[in-house]
Amino acid sequence: MTERYMVGSFAEPGPLLSAVATLRRAGVAIHDVFAPYPVHGLDQAMGIRRSRLPWVTLLAGLTGLTFALAFQYYTAVFDWPLDVGGKPENSTLAFVPICFELTVLIGGLGTAGAFFLRARLFPGKREQLPVLGVTNNVFAIVTHVPRESNDGDLARRIMLEHGADEIEEREGTS
Amino acid sequence: MNRRPACEEAETAATAIATGSPLVQIGLPTGTRSTGFEASRRDVLSLMGFSLGALGLGSGCRAPVQHAVPLPAASTEMVPGVPNLYATTCGACSASCGLVVKQRDGRPIKIEGNDASPLTRGGTCAAGQASVLSLYDDARLRGPVWLGNPVSWEEIDRHIKTMLNAGSGDPRAVVLLSQTITSPSALAVLNDFRVAFPSFRHVVYDPMSLAALREANRLAHGAAVVPHFRFDRARVVVGLEADFLGTWLAPVEFARQWSRRRTADGERAFHVQCESGMSVTGSNADLRLAIAPSELGPFAVALLAAVARRVSDDGLAGLRGAGLAPDAPHAAAIDRIADALARHRGEALVVTGSNDVATQLVVAKLNALLGGVGKTVDLEQPSLQRQGDDAQVADLIQQMNRGAVRALIVWGANPVYDHPDGVAFTAALKKVPLTISLADRRDETGAHVRALCPDHHFLESWGDAEPVRGQFSLRQPLIAPLHDTRSGVESLLVWAGRPTDHRTRLRDFWQRELHPRALGAGPFEGFWERSLERGVVEMPQPAVAVHAFAGDWQGAVRDIVTRGGRPPTEAYELALQETVGARDGRHANNPWLQELPDPITRLTWGNVACIAPATAAAQGITTGDVVTLTTEVGKLELPAFVQPGQERRTISVAIGYGRWAAGKAGDGVGGNVFPLVRVENGLRRASAPVTLSKTGRRARLAPAQTHFSMEGRDIVQTMALGQDKHEAEHEHEHEALPNLWRERLHGAHAWGMSIDLDACTGCSACVVACQAENNVPVVGAEQVRKSRIMHWMRIDRYLEGDGEDVISHHQPMMCQHCQHAPCETVCPVLATTTSSEGINQQVYNRCIGTRYCANNCPYKVRRFNWHNFTANDDFPFNMTSPLGRLVLNPDVTVRSRGVMEKCNLCVQRIQLAKNQALLQRRPMADGDVATACQQACPTGAIVFGDLADAQSRVSKLLAGRRAYRVLEDLGTRPNVGYLKKITSKETT
Amino acid sequence: MSAGDIPITTSPAVAPTDLVQPTRWIEGSPSLHRITTDIAQPMEARPGRGWWICFGIASAALLNLLGMVTYLFAKGIGIWGLNNAVGWAFDITNFVFWIGIGHAGTLISAILLLFRQKWRTSINRSAEAMTIFAVMCAGLFPLIHMGRPWDCFFIFPYFPNQRGPLWVNFRSPLVWDVFAISTYFTISLVFWFMGMIPDLATLRDRAVGGIKKFIFRILSMGWNGSQRTWSRYEIVSLVLAALATPLVLSVHSIVSTDFATSLVPGWHTTIFPPYFVAGAIYSGFGMVLTLLLITRVTMNLQRYITFNHLEAMAKVILLTGSLVGYAYATEFFNAWYSGNVHERFHFINRATGPYAWCFYLMVLCNVLTPQVFWWKRARRSIPVLFVASILINVGMWFERFVIIVVGLHRNFLPSAWGMFYPTVFDIGILIGVFGLFFTLFLLFIRALPMIAMWEIKGVSHD
Repeated sequence: MTERYMVGSFAEPGPLLSAVATLRRAGVAIHDVFAPYPVHGLDQAMGIRRSRLPWVTLLAGLTGLTFALAFQYYTAVFDWPLDVGGKPENSTLAFVPICFELTVLIGGLGTAGAFFLRARLFPGKREQLPVLGVTNNVFAIVTHVPRESNDGDLARRIMLEHGADEIEEREGTS
Repeated sequence: MNRRPACEEAETAATAIATGSPLVQIGLPTGTRSTGFEASRRDVLSLMGFSLGALGLGSGCRAPVQHAVPLPAASTEMVPGVPNLYATTCGACSASCGLVVKQRDGRPIKIEGNDASPLTRGGTCAAGQASVLSLYDDARLRGPVWLGNPVSWEEIDRHIKTMLNAGSGDPRAVVLLSQTITSPSALAVLNDFRVAFPSFRHVVYDPMSLAALREANRLAHGAAVVPHFRFDRARVVVGLEADFLGTWLAPVEFARQWSRRRTADGERAFHVQCESGMSVTGSNADLRLAIAPSELGPFAVALLAAVARRVSDDGLAGLRGAGLAPDAPHAAAIDRIADALARHRGEALVVTGSNDVATQLVVAKLNALLGGVGKTVDLEQPSLQRQGDDAQVADLIQQMNRGAVRALIVWGANPVYDHPDGVAFTAALKKVPLTISLADRRDETGAHVRALCPDHHFLESWGDAEPVRGQFSLRQPLIAPLHDTRSGVESLLVWAGRPTDHRTRLRDFWQRELHPRALGAGPFEGFWERSLERGVVEMPQPAVAVHAFAGDWQGAVRDIVTRGGRPPTEAYELALQETVGARDGRHANNPWLQELPDPITRLTWGNVACIAPATAAAQGITTGDVVTLTTEVGKLELPAFVQPGQERRTISVAIGYGRWAAGKAGDGVGGNVFPLVRVENGLRRASAPVTLSKTGRRARLAPAQTHFSMEGRDIVQTMALGQDKHEAEHEHEHEALPNLWRERLHGAHAWGMSIDLDACTGCSACVVACQAENNVPVVGAEQVRKSRIMHWMRIDRYLEGDGEDVISHHQPMMCQHCQHAPCETVCPVLATTTSSEGINQQVYNRCIGTRYCANNCPYKVRRFNWHNFTANDDFPFNMTSPLGRLVLNPDVTVRSRGVMEKCNLCVQRIQLAKNQALLQRRPMADGDVATACQQACPTGAIVFGDLADAQSRVSKLLAGRRAYRVLEDLGTRPNVGYLKKITSKETT
Repeated sequence: MSAGDIPITTSPAVAPTDLVQPTRWIEGSPSLHRITTDIAQPMEARPGRGWWICFGIASAALLNLLGMVTYLFAKGIGIWGLNNAVGWAFDITNFVFWIGIGHAGTLISAILLLFRQKWRTSINRSAEAMTIFAVMCAGLFPLIHMGRPWDCFFIFPYFPNQRGPLWVNFRSPLVWDVFAISTYFTISLVFWFMGMIPDLATLRDRAVGGIKKFIFRILSMGWNGSQRTWSRYEIVSLVLAALATPLVLSVHSIVSTDFATSLVPGWHTTIFPPYFVAGAIYSGFGMVLTLLLITRVTMNLQRYITFNHLEAMAKVILLTGSLVGYAYATEFFNAWYSGNVHERFHFINRATGPYAWCFYLMVLCNVLTPQVFWWKRARRSIPVLFVASILINVGMWFERFVIIVVGLHRNFLPSAWGMFYPTVFDIGILIGVFGLFFTLFLLFIRALPMIAMWEIKGVSHD
């Protein structure tokens, strides 16, 4: 079913921040806020929880580490042990650098991949912009507008008070 | 683990590369035999017949060659891939050493010494090792040539016979000008020739002649012979300008004799060398004096005087004060030498290479005085080498000019190139109606003759030799003639009207002449078989009649004294020097020898003017400056080389270079110094007064080593004579380095090698042997300049001190087969690992050429294929020629561009020995495997074996007190060890 | 400041006047739109003559590289001056040199991000691009220096291979290199791309249809500036920075083990890893400086790449340069203190041997040059900075040359001593690789935003 949104666009981050804060205090459900750069304090203002992506990094990194160590040990000790400079077949210390590199590689790629999944970003995805210029110099607040209530008017008023340039109401599928 | 041998397999994997391509192409360049390999292979089979020995095992046993037998039987002999060994006789120089030649699939591919030979006991020299390559030389004639046109043998024989027989009764002489012929059967053939042509004369020619020595012995003992010197019987050896360990007379035999008296324990001989230019012999002497050629005579007189003072002998009174003035240099040294000589009467030997009769006579007197005659100087069973007679050659040239010669046959000599007056000889040739050359190529002399009748290479022909009276040796063909050539003996027989094939002739001669003298030899058949199989036979010959010394030595002394020593002028002296690589120049087109670094200068591809450091400094000359040497008869421009140990006022130049008709590899390399000396009263000189001037130009030499100081690092370690005994109680001092890891378990064997630095003379036979065995490519002068020489084995030379008296060391250096190998750890692709038998092995087809291993090798023995050195026209040497590739060893991969290579302890030989042991169901015994370098070494300095077997020779040697490892403190734990060099400053 | 304490009525646009002004990293206070247009300008305007000249020279050098490498593959590395004594020279020198250049990028973007250094924002994008291109240049050499480059895949642990389960030698530093450099390249690429996504979106929205919009749409992955994404985005940037920081330190440490784990005198040294890392950052900053000094003028970005940026970089150069100088001194001291005959000889030979001039050139460029940056006026003088940055790169190239060639040409056995003389191909390939590098960089500044717009916006408006 379609849903109604209130989109308010701002020229400056300051008013945006205070508007977001006020809206939340007033209990208006904020769908999302759009900005050309990450505005400091907006997370707190919106009450976004800190991302759990670092855990993905840890898991992926450990996977890389384990794989690297196991693989080197297997090839050097079991699959075809050779006398290389009289060194022991299991020259663990010599395996350390590659273990480290693979930890970082898998960890990094895993994190990036997880981010794209979580943020639903993929090549060629059609962008959905609340207002034009949101990637250039416009800040925008998008709030939900429940049908049977006057929250819409409340949101509109708060945004206007904080100096929104223009406000429009839209239909959209969630 | 069980898959490890795969690495060895990898080495033999590409055998096809080595053999396949050349085999199919062999016929092509040979013109007349363009039927491909199959044809020549069949000839080979029919020629080889089957061998008694080979019936059993095929490989490893020597076998005589018989006449054609049915192919099935023959094929049992030639098991594909299994080498056969045949005994024969070397033709590289007049020393005629006994050989055993390895033949694979009908091709002789490797020359080894014949252990049965009482003279050499398996030793060889660099030139001998390389002579197998000359067999496959592209410059060889493909067939007879008459007036510049290839013709058939029939036709050329017709021409020659008509011209020879035309003037029957013609008083003008028919002359054979030949190198020293040590073959008794060939000499017998000359008699037939003499019968056919009464005016026949045989003139013997040597580029480095010993005519004066023979003359002196005629005057002294009534026999014009070259004595058979016995260095093994001498406790004191004094060499005067005689490089007997490197090039003089019979270097292989002498080196062996010499080394047998240089043992660390027991009575060690004291060796004094007096020479103008540094030679291999001088670099090994206990005491070396730098003496100008013109000082040689006075020095000998002074020595005689000094000895005379010690051994009271009547009639020597006249000598007191003769020779050098008391204030002369070396006066002290002379006393020291005389002491040593006098102390060892009967065990002393003085030899000189001087071609001056007076000097030789004085030396003969010395030997007589010291009781050497009959002991260290054997005149009764003399040497039959170097029989050249300068006077006859000079006389021949005059006769030719006078038109007194109607036919001249040149056999094995090349006077247009190497006679001091080659120009005059060329002119004289024009005056002879019929001139014939039996040379294998159209050489300098051949370019001026009417008929070229190419002789076989010695590996293609029958023959025999008697290098020393009573010491016989047989020669048998290892391959059917590659080209349409004919044995020189057969040619002579044909022209003498007695056409016989060489083998029949040889056999008859042995049956008629030699067999009767072989006491208890039994029936001839068996004797013949045994002789062929063994290769060498000792048959006592009646002693040459000689009498006690009766020469007019006072006269000689007077001559020398009146002639005086060095001319007081500021002029320098030029000294001709024979080097182990170039010898007298006959092998000039052999790229192996051209690229063999001279053991002294370490230079390749060319000769230089060796100048003493002091002189160079005074003249402002540095190594590489081109200087002009001008004598009264000629001039020559050569790059200068500052040579420590060089006599201050002498300039030494190697002979054998500057040829212009040797072939692609040999032409225009270096400068020809022969024309700079003269023939004086019938003797060709080896020295001449010379003036030295700078041209201002510089030349780029091609050195294999540029730095000769050890920089205070104990790379070559020495110990004073007897020190090893004193050190008996300090044995524990030599503690082993700790091991970071637990020792890895070895397989059945742990191959290792011991190299005795005291026995090594630096003769470089091993270097060529290694090159031949392991298909080591020749890279040419330009690549050597870039220090990209490929030799797996090199002989490093280090000098202590500079100026005139220096101590030099020779150190064979090849892969040390470290058990903790730095090269292996750094290879990213596991292309080099330690085998289960302790060999540091290189896997060519895995190598990607990062060169990290070479950078990390402290011994710098790894060699990288910077280019494709094989089948590449940029490197037009034997590996690029279809014919030249026949010499390749099928058991060894020919390496491709971009891979690393190095010594692998002849792993292919180890495998062969293992297989044999397996077939014979016996464990491997010590000595089953001999690496190429070990086999070639005339002094037995190299010992290879199993370190896992505590009883093996190598284990015992490396456990001894003289043993050490190079750069031991790096903890590389090499399986190759060295035995310290003994320094003895006095006689024992 | 957090949202909680902002009174609704106050307008935060007016900054409190009684506070001390922090260093301004952007000159003037351009509007957000102005920033976008300024930075997008080099991509949208036609290239000036300066760009064309540079591009012409660079691509000519690149063509030369292609030609020479083709000949190299045809003939073999014998066409170089290498020999039995000196198995590595220009090839590995260039390899280490370019890897070193790369390090500044990651350092600026990762380490300075962790340290919250605002001044990085103007230069990190181009520095990261430089890293990518430098690593590409470096990666070329391990390939072409091989004797048999067509078998280069042997160096990867692949299965099955030509001889049963034969893997690679994990004890060899060269294998470590393979992993280190490929990891470094991948992570840098990811980091660079991630950082560019918001700007790509900006460009997408500026583009007026056509192929340009199409490409940017694909690349920008539908980015729309949602704050929820922004917040994850910043976390991920921090994580990647935290990963890249040890990575950048590890990469040159591993490269240094190519030498440190060997036993060649002059290579076999434990101080190599830190010493190489310092040197890498040093040379990297030198190269960043060279590039920025040129681009800020040719692309008129003086406002965003200010004297403050240049001065900050000059300070880093002074620090790392002094570290490098200290390392040189330590090497000599240890050689003397060790008493090892080979080690001592090596360093005497380094200072007095045939290659001594390289050594003194290196000291002059790497140790003495940066000392001028003790003076503020030098740190803020364009000519001084430019000359210094060039000298530093020359010096750092020679540092690697001295270490490699002087170490090899005279070591344990004097009989095996030799000399290295470069051939036309050694020099040609050295030049050609600079061509490759600058071609890529010049294309980059035309095709992609060389300054991170969104970061600049953040810096200029907080």
